Order: sequence, then structure tokens, then C-alpha cells
Amino acid sequence: MVWLPLYGLFYAMVTLYWARIAAQQNGDFQTYFSAGHSLSPWVAALLMAGASLSGWALLGGADEIAQRGFGLPVLLQAGVVLAVPGVLFFKRMWFVGQRLRLSSQGELLRSYYGSEFLVAFSAVVAVLFAVGFAGLQLGALSRLVEAMTGGAVTAPVVGMVLGVVLFGYVVIGGMRAVGYLGAVQAVLAAAAMVGFSGFALISLGGFGELNQGLVALAADPAQAGRFAVAGVIQFTAGIGRGAALGHEGTAVASLSLAFALMGFQASPLAAKIILSTRSPRGLAAGQTWVMAGMFGGLMALAMAALGAAALVSPGLTVAGLLQSLSPWFAAWLFIGALAGVQLMAGLALLTAGESLVCHIYKPWFHGALDRKATVTVTRVVIGLLAVAAVLMQALTPVTLSMLGGLALPLAFQLWTPLLGMTWLRWITPQAAVMGVGFGIAGVLLAEPPGHAVLAFLGLDLPWGRWPWTIHSAAWGMAANLAAVLLISAITQRRGFGSEAQEARRFLAAALQTSPRAKALKSTAWSVVLAWGFLAIGPGLVLGNTAFTAPDGRWLVGMPSLWAWGLLFWALGVGVVWFLAYKMEMASPGTDDIPAYEPPPSLKRDHRAAEAERLRVLVLTGAIGFGLVVLTARSFGG
Amino acid sequence: MPTPPHIERGILVFAIWACLGFLGLGIVLEGFARDLWALSAGGVAVIVLAFGAHIVVNGVFDTGFTRGEAVLGIGFYGLLGLVFILGAVGGNLSLPDLYSGLSLFGVLAAGFLAYLATRHGLRGAFSQFHIKPTQAEKA
Repeated sequence: MVWLPLYGLFYAMVTLYWARIAAQQNGDFQTYFSAGHSLSPWVAALLMAGASLSGWALLGGADEIAQRGFGLPVLLQAGVVLAVPGVLFFKRMWFVGQRLRLSSQGELLRSYYGSEFLVAFSAVVAVLFAVGFAGLQLGALSRLVEAMTGGAVTAPVVGMVLGVVLFGYVVIGGMRAVGYLGAVQAVLAAAAMVGFSGFALISLGGFGELNQGLVALAADPAQAGRFAVAGVIQFTAGIGRGAALGHEGTAVASLSLAFALMGFQASPLAAKIILSTRSPRGLAAGQTWVMAGMFGGLMALAMAALGAAALVSPGLTVAGLLQSLSPWFAAWLFIGALAGVQLMAGLALLTAGESLVCHIYKPWFHGALDRKATVTVTRVVIGLLAVAAVLMQALTPVTLSMLGGLALPLAFQLWTPLLGMTWLRWITPQAAVMGVGFGIAGVLLAEPPGHAVLAFLGLDLPWGRWPWTIHSAAWGMAANLAAVLLISAITQRRGFGSEAQEARRFLAAALQTSPRAKALKSTAWSVVLAWGFLAIGPGLVLGNTAFTAPDGRWLVGMPSLWAWGLLFWALGVGVVWFLAYKMEMASPGTDDIPAYEPPPSLKRDHRAAEAERLRVLVLTGAIGFGLVVLTARSFGG
Repeated sequence: MPTPPHIERGILVFAIWACLGFLGLGIVLEGFARDLWALSAGGVAVIVLAFGAHIVVNGVFDTGFTRGEAVLGIGFYGLLGLVFILGAVGGNLSLPDLYSGLSLFGVLAAGFLAYLATRHGLRGAFSQFHIKPTQAEKA
């Protein structure tokens, strides 16, 4: 019992130590939001990989395999799946950010598209990550501590303590503390994942014993479905409306879940890291070796081994291990899991606070706010968000779970505006805005919160969650893409603003592809499509039996799908390397980018307009609330 | 105020000790709990590995241990040593525990001296502890 509080105290001291260092470097508030764009490339690479993968992989990914087996093999490819969008976007986003001297996704979207809707949507996504996604994981950790202490410390108390530690270092040190501490947390979380899987394997008697257990499971006809993808697609009505044959893990489910995972790299959290980095020189190495290689390997090996161990012996889950191991190991592993979750939660809180204050409150309602006051208000907002996350863990866990489930698929809808900004110049501002709007609708119609709202208003949808075993991220993107294509086609003559035109000119001039990379373009397309088809797409059904002998024996001593996943993880690292270096999509250009000087313009006094906006906001909110209550009373159940 | 290279060194040092240091400590304690000298020796090896990694990081950043690190390390070593001696005097230690403790403290002491000797030379290593009084102090 003494080890957990002791290690916890040590962890809290370390967070405060780095918060103090960061605050000194920040001059309290001067570089609070973006660390003065000075984070080292290797720190940013660790931060990105840790924030993308560590928390949910340990708490969610391993549990998914423990509950449902290997039916969603995309989990084994998570590292590669997350590295691909990083290779696609990050370098170009960094260049645009540097040229226009921008430090967040909200600013990028406002400068390029001039759309307040996209800015607000980016803020909503950040809040969903901060309160929903991070709150879910912190809640899971709180329950782990409750179990470890035999109920002596209750989950709400743990949640409050963890929230205070998180709030403390984010509020004091800002992005610099999140970055410095995040690098340590990422390494610690990775070590904890290795530790958990190592202890699980030791408990089972080794890797051979694990696979013997899996063989025994696979021999049971009732369990055999856990070792196979359930076809390419199943036309079910969705979870809650119609069950799939066998299980929900089809190849298309894997592909659409990959889309959802890719949402993180399009989220304002990822943009915050990239735009706080001092140089693009670490992007290729970070995405190839840290994200796809190191953390991807952890997913394919350690997370899978941990989940498989719990599949064989249900006591070997994260919670079970923490209760059965010696207290010093349990405390160390718990701190590793906590580090992984707080890394993402801290980044999300900071990004959400900045988005709400700097991109919504200040430009719309209080333009006269100076820098110091802006930081102070942001600190208050971060505190409120942390309190909301802690309270929702205790009071409304179902709502928290629904909100957490929306974060990734909604973030994925930001792909189209980011593609327009970085690669596809034909996507017009009107198309990007409408595409995201349709994407949001598509996601909500395939997720419980949308169903709940419509049911509240008296409309009962005939489908459940993720119809046809397709994740809401893909449903949203289908609507998003359709709108983007159609509206881009009819709005091509509408122009971009001066900053967007400058960004387009600058990217075209500064990032010209070499003749060698141009010659490899068709090879790159072929390689990526082939990998996607076989590793996360319909070709996954081939993995069901690829490493199985005709008599049903596993040829490489492990489930065929696991071996297939390991093979394509290794090939995936090669694909990411090829794109990042050979296709020059993430390999470095110049660091020294002169700032764009916009044409001079007169500053207007916006105070009257701001006061009017505030009045309209209050009135609209009150009328909207009244209408919703009236509709629900009239038609709702 | 620490400069950026020192901050990056600090991040690496914290990461090393958070992983290898605590893992090594855990394995040593497990060896004590199970009365297995070999297990404790494995933990000592992991702690030595952490020291090695720390020294490599120092080499990369062309610096030595900071004063804070030296104080923390020696203080921790002294505290653990005290607990071990009290345990041995009280007769609460089994023979494997005794050997485990001696291995830990012996290896750490030998490693520390070896580090000083290789970094500063034999005479320089001695000078790290022997502080000559200044003329003013002599007077």
C-alpha cells in the first residue's frame, strides 16, 4: 500500500519540477501557448507518438484484444496508420505555420479558409479530446486505483487527485511543460507497456505457453471466431439494432477504424505539437522510426501479447496484473500508464483552453484582452475543463463515454480542410466548410449521441451504431468527400484570401519535389494502396488463413492474423520510410523561413460589435434552449 | 535558469531513471522478497545499466553529473545503506538478502570510484573529495 502513494508523490514532484523549469523559460506567460516554437524535434517526435498511442493502447487496445480476440487486426497496425497522415500533413503544416507565423490549427484554418465555422469546430474537437477522450482514460485509471487499494481509496477521490496534478503542471508550465514532461512520459509509458506484457508472459510461462493457450482456445468452435476477420463487410443495421454474424470485426470495420485513428493526426492536438517545434528536421525520423517503428512495434508485439494473455487467462488484464504483482512493480507500471494518459490529457487541456480563449472568446467577444490576461483566462478555462472531466467521470460516465467516442471520428473530418491546405489546391473554402458540416452530420448519425438527441426530439432512426460494420469516421468522411467534390466543382471561381494565396505560393515554391521523387510517384501510390488493401483493408480476410496449414495448424506458432499483422507492421515501417524520405514528404527542407508581411490595414474599433455579438449569443442560446424543450415536450418520449 | 541543451539532457536523464532505475529497484526488491540473490543481482545490473546510460548522455552533452544529481545519488545511497545496515544488525536479513545488499552497495561503490577514476584520473578523483584550504583560511 505504501509503494503506490510513494511513487505517486514522486511522479507529482517530477511534474512540478518540469512545470517550474517551463515557467522560468516562459517568463510566466510570454511563450505559454507554443513554447516559443522551440521544442526540439526529438522531443516533439516522442510527444506525438506518446500522445497518439500510449494511453488508449494500454487501456483500450489490449482490452479490445482480450475481449474480442484478433478480429480487428488494424489495432496491430496503429503505429503505421498514425504515421502515414503525419508524413502527409506535418511538414507542409509546419511550413505554412512558419511562413504566416501561426501556432495552432485554429489560426491555420482562419488564415487559410477565413472560416469561423472551421475554427469553432476545431475548438469543439479539442474540447472533446480534453473532456471526453482524456476523461474516459483518467476515469479508467481511477477505477484501477480503487481496485488496487481494495476500495480504500474511491475512484472519485483518485480522479480528483489526478486532475489536480494534471491541472497543476499544465497551468504553470503551458506547452513547454507539456513538451518537456511529455517526452519523459512517453518513454515511461512505453516502458510500462513492455513491462505489462513482460509480466503477463512471465505469469503464463512464456511466449510458447501463451500460444499453446491460444491454440486451445482456437480449437473450441465457440471461440474460433476470435482468430478470424468476420468477412469483408456485413450489412447489419448496426450495434444495438442487429447483430453481425460471428462478430463485428469485418475487414471494413478495420479499415474504418483506421480512419478514426487517423483522426488524431488531423486534430488540433497534433497541430499544436507540430507548430510548437523549432524545425521540421525530426519529422521524417519521428514518423518513421519513433511512431511507426518503436511505438508501432509496441502495438504489434507488446499490446497484442498483453491482450492475448488476457484472452487465455482472464486474470491477466491490466487491472488483474496490477492487483497480483508485487507492490513496487504494480506502482511503477501504474505510474507508466498514468504518464501515458496524462501526456495526452495535458496536451488536450492546453489545446482546448487555447482554442476556446484565443480563437473564440478573444476574437469574437473581447479583442482588447492583452497577452497576460489571455493566459490568465486560459488558465481559468483549463481549470474548468479539468473540473468538468473529473465531475463527468463520477456523475455522468455514460455521457462521458459517448463524448469520448466522438473525438476521433469528428477529428477525422478535418482531413479535407487540411488536405486542401497542404496538397489539394482545388478544395475551395466553401467546399471545406460544407464538407466538414456534412461530415459532422454523418458521424453523429452513426453514433449514440446523435441517436440520443434525435430520440429526445422524437425521431427514432432505423439503424444503430456503425451500420454495415463501418465506423462513424468513414460514414462522416463519405458525406464529407461527396460535399467537397460537388461544391468544389461549382465554386472554383471564388478566390482565396491574401494569406491563403501566400501560403499556396510559398508551398509551391519552397517544397518542389525533386525529379527522382516525381519519378517514384506511381510506385508510391502502388505501394501505399497495396499495403492499405492487405494490412488494413479487404485483403485482411487473406490473413485469416495465410499462416495456417491445411490441417489447421499454425505455421509460425502464433495465430495467423497476429503473424499477418506483424509482417505488415514491418512492411508498413518500410512504406512510411519510403514516403517520408524517398518521396520527400517529411524529409527536411529549410528551417529558416522569413515571415510573411501582410499589406498594412487600418485597425477598427470592434468593441460595439463584440458587445452586440455577446447579446446575440445569450439571446440565441435562450431561444434555442426554449425551442429544444418545447420540441421535446411536444414530440419526445 | 537551465539552457535548452541542459533541459534536453535533463529530459533524457529523467527518462532513463524513470524506466531503468525504477525497474532495477523493483527487481532488487523482488530478489529481497523472494530471497533470490540472482534476481537481486539482475536488478543491480539494470541499475548499473541506468548509470551507464546516464554517463553516455553526459558524454553526448559534454558534461558531468550536476551537483543536484550527485547529492540525490549519494543521499539515496546513504539512506539505503543505513536501512541495510540496520536490517543486518537487527538480524532480520537472510543470507541471500545479505549477499544481495552487499552486491548492490559494493557494485555501486566500485562503479562510482571507477567513474571518478576514468573521468578525472586517480589524482583528480582524490581531489574531488580533498578540498585544499585557501591561504586566507590557513591564516
